[in-house]
Amino acid sequence: MPGYGSAAPRPAKKDFMTILTRLEQWKEQGIISPEQHAHLAGLSRGEPFSLYLELNILLYAGVLAFVAGLGWTVTTWSHQLGDVLVVTILSAILAACFWYCFARAPAWSPAETPSPALIFDYVLYLGSLTWCVELAYLENRFHVLSGQWDLYLLATAGLFFLLAYRFDNRFVLSLALSSLAGWFGLTISHWPSHQDAEYRLYALLYSLIVGAAGALLDRRGLKSHFLGTYLNIAANVLFWALLSGVFETTFAHDETVQSYGVWFVALLAACGASLAWGLARREFVFVAYAAVYGYVGVSFLLVRNLTGATAVLSYFVVTGIAMLVALVLIARRFARTA
Amino acid sequence: MRAYRASSEEALRARNLLKDWTGEGFLTLAQYLRLAQDTVCDLRTTNIFLRLVLFLFTLIIVGAAAALFFVVLSPPSAQVQTIGVILLIFAAIAYAAAEFAVSQARLYRYGIEEALAVCSVGFLCLGLQTAFFSGGPYSTKPDGTEFLVPAAGAIASLWIWRRFGLPYAFPAAMIFVLYLPNHWTSSHSAQHVIVATFYAAGLASVAAVRSRHRFDYLNDGYSLVEALLWLGIYLAINLQLSSLSLLVQWWGGPRAATEFPTWFYWATWVLTWCLPPMVLARGLRRKDRFVIAVGAIAAVLTLVTNKPYLGWQRHSWDPMLLGAVLIGAALLIRRWLAAGQGGTRHGFTAQRLSGKDKHWLSEGSAVLGVVAPQVITPSPQNPDFRFGGGGFSGGGASSDF
Repeated sequence: MPGYGSAAPRPAKKDFMTILTRLEQWKEQGIISPEQHAHLAGLSRGEPFSLYLELNILLYAGVLAFVAGLGWTVTTWSHQLGDVLVVTILSAILAACFWYCFARAPAWSPAETPSPALIFDYVLYLGSLTWCVELAYLENRFHVLSGQWDLYLLATAGLFFLLAYRFDNRFVLSLALSSLAGWFGLTISHWPSHQDAEYRLYALLYSLIVGAAGALLDRRGLKSHFLGTYLNIAANVLFWALLSGVFETTFAHDETVQSYGVWFVALLAACGASLAWGLARREFVFVAYAAVYGYVGVSFLLVRNLTGATAVLSYFVVTGIAMLVALVLIARRFARTA
Repeated sequence: MRAYRASSEEALRARNLLKDWTGEGFLTLAQYLRLAQDTVCDLRTTNIFLRLVLFLFTLIIVGAAAALFFVVLSPPSAQVQTIGVILLIFAAIAYAAAEFAVSQARLYRYGIEEALAVCSVGFLCLGLQTAFFSGGPYSTKPDGTEFLVPAAGAIASLWIWRRFGLPYAFPAAMIFVLYLPNHWTSSHSAQHVIVATFYAAGLASVAAVRSRHRFDYLNDGYSLVEALLWLGIYLAINLQLSSLSLLVQWWGGPRAATEFPTWFYWATWVLTWCLPPMVLARGLRRKDRFVIAVGAIAAVLTLVTNKPYLGWQRHSWDPMLLGAVLIGAALLIRRWLAAGQGGTRHGFTAQRLSGKDKHWLSEGSAVLGVVAPQVITPSPQNPDFRFGGGGFSGGGASSDF
């Protein structure tokens, strides 16, 4: 590379050392071997330069664009193409994807398994999305499930869970979890008088099931690295459901007005659990959930009882400072050792 | 000019590299513990989630405190200009607080000092607008000096970027620049040219400076800035993306070539084809990840906007073709690289060399796996949805929660 010699640049200041200078020094002190020095200095200079991330993003974008075009084409041209041709093409893509995955997959292991090839995860993702398109097409054209969309979603969720665990694929696991959420929602929509309260209860049930399933599978040692995906989805659904309970029951003008206390206590309990989990596991996203969702819920209840802009703004200044101090203390306790 | 000592930032970078290399097995834990002692620095950092929450709460405090000041202390009959001057004072206070947080508490990407710096820019623009161009923030007086507000915003953002190294301050400055030419000319073509010229000037400046920082802690920041400027230039010259009216008409409306002179319209079309390979080549030659990414994004955008540019009809299978091209390109590149000695050709490899790549992919796959299918797959639950009827919406695996 012209202008980019392998020699470390001369330090501009006395105590300033680039990573290349440091590596040189560490090699001279015998802390790292000459081989390690050569390798790490090469990495620091971008030699070799890895295109791993870029290739993955290209594949992901390619699969998404392909399935979007597939769905759009099937939607627009199904009458002209005919059912047989559409189903044949979709089935062929589906079969090819799943054949590739089953043929190339390494033996199953409960631990994290690296993909056998760069494209492997994306072929499985393509197959899973094509499954969605084909099943939706079949149902709309032939009513194979007699309009029972919830069964479609439940079956899809089940299939995606199996595929995610068989092939160790987070894309498909996320699809499975969102399909399961869709099943919960659609099941309620069949009820004659579904209300927001029922959705909320089922959202709670969904988050508890997902969280418990994730924890159980982690305990059994089954793809423990999936736990974060389960818990993040479960936590967000849980907090949204609890917040909606606090908001709605507070605004209600009937006897349910008293029940906001239950939702509020549940919200505080969830925040406490999230905070404890986040601190214990050093998963600071859960600390962030507890801080933000908890602050929104508590502020909502307190601010509505305040009158006047001065009181409201004072509340935000004082509580904001209190939250800031608490978070700084947490951050300092668990500070990255810089 | 920088708020942090170069040695501290370089030590922090070295420590992060050591962590990454240890995670990848290039260093033993014992080596890491020994080497980490040489990379101690005085900067106080935190993780990304706490950083975001600290940023949020600092914004709440500053916003509420400013509002409280006006409610409690500002007389109801206060002149608009007085309010503007008070906002300018707030800007100075917020900036001073950010400097204090950095110099005394040694906060580095901690959320608090970032929010204070961001607030100082916001107060500055709002204060200037209110004090000197009286009325609401959107009112204008045709005296030719209104451009001072976005100009001040751009300069302040640039200063914040330079002083604190906050990467998002630079795109903020670029956004402010977008509003400058509106005050100078009504010609849309001229506005595009002015914006592109500003970005090109910035690019030339960055290119001149960054070669001295190829191997130090500033390289990543300059790389991002160069990539953003390339992207800005591309967006400024691609009329199908940068013109709002064209964006609205993108899906099937008549092309608004009439909005621009014909020669200008076709010149930009040529440039949209010339720029992506140029950017890609520069990124590959310098092994610059951000510039490569922008080159690839610009190439995809050129393919996507080519038909609207030419006034050709879009087809439903266009995304399929694009997807096939992207997948094919990725596979070809991987295969070509893998065929080289040790899986490397011309200094490039398809192998993963950093734990950060795996981390980003893991996090990204979990999030995108939930979000993306909502957009791209046909909805099974929409009773109005009919295949063959042109309906296309919703989520194949969606949630009603």
